[in-house]
Amino acid sequence: MDALALLGVFLKASLLSLGGLSSLPLLRADLVAPGIATDDQLVQAIAIGRISTGPNGLYIVSLGYLVAGVVGATMALVAATLPPLVIVPITAVARRWLLATPVAGLVRGVALATAGLLVATGIGIVTATGSPSWWQLTLAAIATVLSYRGTIHPALVIAIGAGVGLALGR
Amino acid sequence: MSAREFGEAWALSQLSPGIHLVALAGLIGRRIAGWRGVVAAVAGMMIPAALITVALTAAYGVIAASPLARAALAGVAPVTGGMTIATAGLLIRASGRHGRAHLATDVGVSIAAVVATLVLGMPTLAVIGAGAAVGALALGRERPTSRESSVG
Repeated sequence: MDALALLGVFLKASLLSLGGLSSLPLLRADLVAPGIATDDQLVQAIAIGRISTGPNGLYIVSLGYLVAGVVGATMALVAATLPPLVIVPITAVARRWLLATPVAGLVRGVALATAGLLVATGIGIVTATGSPSWWQLTLAAIATVLSYRGTIHPALVIAIGAGVGLALGR
Repeated sequence: MSAREFGEAWALSQLSPGIHLVALAGLIGRRIAGWRGVVAAVAGMMIPAALITVALTAAYGVIAASPLARAALAGVAPVTGGMTIATAGLLIRASGRHGRAHLATDVGVSIAAVVATLVLGMPTLAVIGAGAAVGALALGRERPTSRESSVG
């Protein structure tokens, strides 16, 4: 995949998502399904994104690097940075319109549909190996609860997974 | 910048596509120093973080093929899957409306999306489009009230 096509994939995912990991379902559909990236790379990118500084959505920079090196990371950074900024000029001319109810409803509808897609994507990642073992399913359940509650730092949750993997995954 | 201005910038940033924190940095930067403020705020937020992210990814790449790293990844994979599912819960919590009837409708839309993609095999883009249409037509009566931006 050439750099411009990769930029297109990342831009599309960024434009049609609402922060954080919500670009994941589109990226998995456009990159993992055609064989450009693997679920393993997706997992590495999410984990590194959670350990690194900055917004969670920056995991796509890690994914870009894994898929196409520094060029891929640059494309991902551009795609993560530009779409959110469309709100700045729009706000300058149409603030009242933005806060009207149909726009709020549209954003809410996209968020709720994306929530459903994220559940499906999460299930897809957990079952990517075909038959997850009991301890992997347990880890997934624990990580879901801990991440939703948000009281423990995500890097620590990742470390717990790595530790259990080292103990039981060999 | 007053608390009221910050609150409005926050509400507007939640409507932006992509990473909401970038939109918030852009809106604050513009308010404080115009377009140069936008560039400074966004570059300051993104460039160092992106460099650290690339460095971590490259560092992991050095050990990625080792048996120990493979074993650790077998535990990290379900954790990231769980984090993805938790993000869905956070999105519903952040955009959900007050009242049981509203909540049932909102969760119902999300469950319909799960069924559409997993059972019916509907393309991801089509599910997002359907959500946008349903939302614009039927879910706009109450604005988001949650101030949490934990998915940002």
